[in-house]
Amino acid sequence: MPRFPSEQWFGAVAAVFNGDESYQGAGGGQCNCRAGVVVEAPNDAPADVFVLTFEGAECLGGQPADAAALADVDFYMQMPLADWQEMLGDIQAHGHATADHTLNSLDLNREEGLATSVHGDQYREDLFFRYNQTLQFFFDASARVKTARA
Amino acid sequence: MGVSQEVHLGEKSMSEAAQLDVERDLDLGWMDRRGEWEIQARPSKNGLTLADIQIGDYGDPPVVSENQTGVPRGAAKRDGSYRIGAYGVRTKSEIWLDNASFLYEEALQRQWSSATDIPWHTIEPLPDDIEQAQCAMDTFLTEVEFVAGDVPARWVARTTPDFFEARNVLLCQVMDESRHMDVFRKRALANGGGLMCATGGTAGVVGSIDHSRDFTEMSSRLHISGEGAVLTIFRLGELMAYNDAEKAIYRLCAQDEARHVAFGVMHMRYMAETAPERHEEIHCYLDEAERGILSGSQNPAGQFTQTSESMAILLGGGKANFDEGRNRLIAIRKRQLQEYIKRVKSAGFGDRFENGRSQVPELLAEIAA
Repeated sequence: MPRFPSEQWFGAVAAVFNGDESYQGAGGGQCNCRAGVVVEAPNDAPADVFVLTFEGAECLGGQPADAAALADVDFYMQMPLADWQEMLGDIQAHGHATADHTLNSLDLNREEGLATSVHGDQYREDLFFRYNQTLQFFFDASARVKTARA
Repeated sequence: MGVSQEVHLGEKSMSEAAQLDVERDLDLGWMDRRGEWEIQARPSKNGLTLADIQIGDYGDPPVVSENQTGVPRGAAKRDGSYRIGAYGVRTKSEIWLDNASFLYEEALQRQWSSATDIPWHTIEPLPDDIEQAQCAMDTFLTEVEFVAGDVPARWVARTTPDFFEARNVLLCQVMDESRHMDVFRKRALANGGGLMCATGGTAGVVGSIDHSRDFTEMSSRLHISGEGAVLTIFRLGELMAYNDAEKAIYRLCAQDEARHVAFGVMHMRYMAETAPERHEEIHCYLDEAERGILSGSQNPAGQFTQTSESMAILLGGGKANFDEGRNRLIAIRKRQLQEYIKRVKSAGFGDRFENGRSQVPELLAEIAA
């Protein structure tokens, strides 16, 4: 059972996401971006950083990276581990994100937002909105991945 | 080679073939009149995309197009053909963007249906003030999306077919805006309410988009300032949503809107790089657009009463919580301005925020205080 966050976990979710054609319709579809996922660890421990790569209809998985890699991604999503876990718990419970647990709502409800970038280029940051349904479908796919708590 | 064709059709036939009832020689001269030949485009990972067929002459749009006859780019010209379009947009820098093919394919593949992709069954009766506020926003957004579809449609017809990639993206935008119009109309009529009084939101700044004399003038007003502001509202729509149907509506509209904004940013970026002589002119367009932003009179999140009040009611959770909603609305306004500044910078015109020409940073500081 993969643990969140880990390369295995992102790989397992990517396998579900890539195997379900319904994620390509209903506002999903071609998506080309590199998105960082930053999981802030409790007690000031270093954050876990992963780079998610989407190419066309596929997610190529999430590779572990260091903080310097965030300069190269289009945008990155950063939250404390507890908030990521709460979001994933909601997805597990309902089969998809509900209420304030969608990526967009999380972005809106946080003072500094969920998605941001190092480069500050709004064109690239806008990819978070432009591909939002695909990103949501990706995390919603985690409802079908048994996840070990970190 | 000769051939005898005897056609026996009734007198009322409308087919041209019915006229070919004489013995005649085949004219196969058309076989020798063609564009570049032996082209073999290959599908890439995403299928056979427009980017994959940018081969040879076919992938080489002219800097200035003399095409007034509708000849497809790369096709052999027909002698003596007459003009079919009064194409005013014939200079590449006027409309071009480097990723038009990409945006077009993306637009095609990321379509959605307002009939079947919105979970309409999740809508339940709402308190009257919430429903009225939602219907007011639906009315406003229906009006605005009408303009957002109408205006690019006019410019498509004015643009030479040689720049078909950019035209195709605009045609997709017209389709997107049609869907936005219908989805907000559907929402207004889906829960015991209906459309409210027309807001007049298409007068003034929004309506003036249609008076643009130049494509870039139109794009700076429509794609950068107008749709940029609406994109922020769609994104923030999830905070105003009371069920999964409304959340889905706003989220999916925001995706489309982000694509339209991307068109504007990339077009202005191309213009900034290839037409330095037009920089001052473009700054003037932005000056005009910012006057609308600064006055806030046509911005649903600004001082436009009908929509700003309804948004505050939706954000606060009812009339009784208006002040709380208003505070959230101010936060939205702040984001609108921050994102606007960053988009204009990304487009290559950020110097206006450094040299004091733009007053948007001052307004932003005022809101933050």
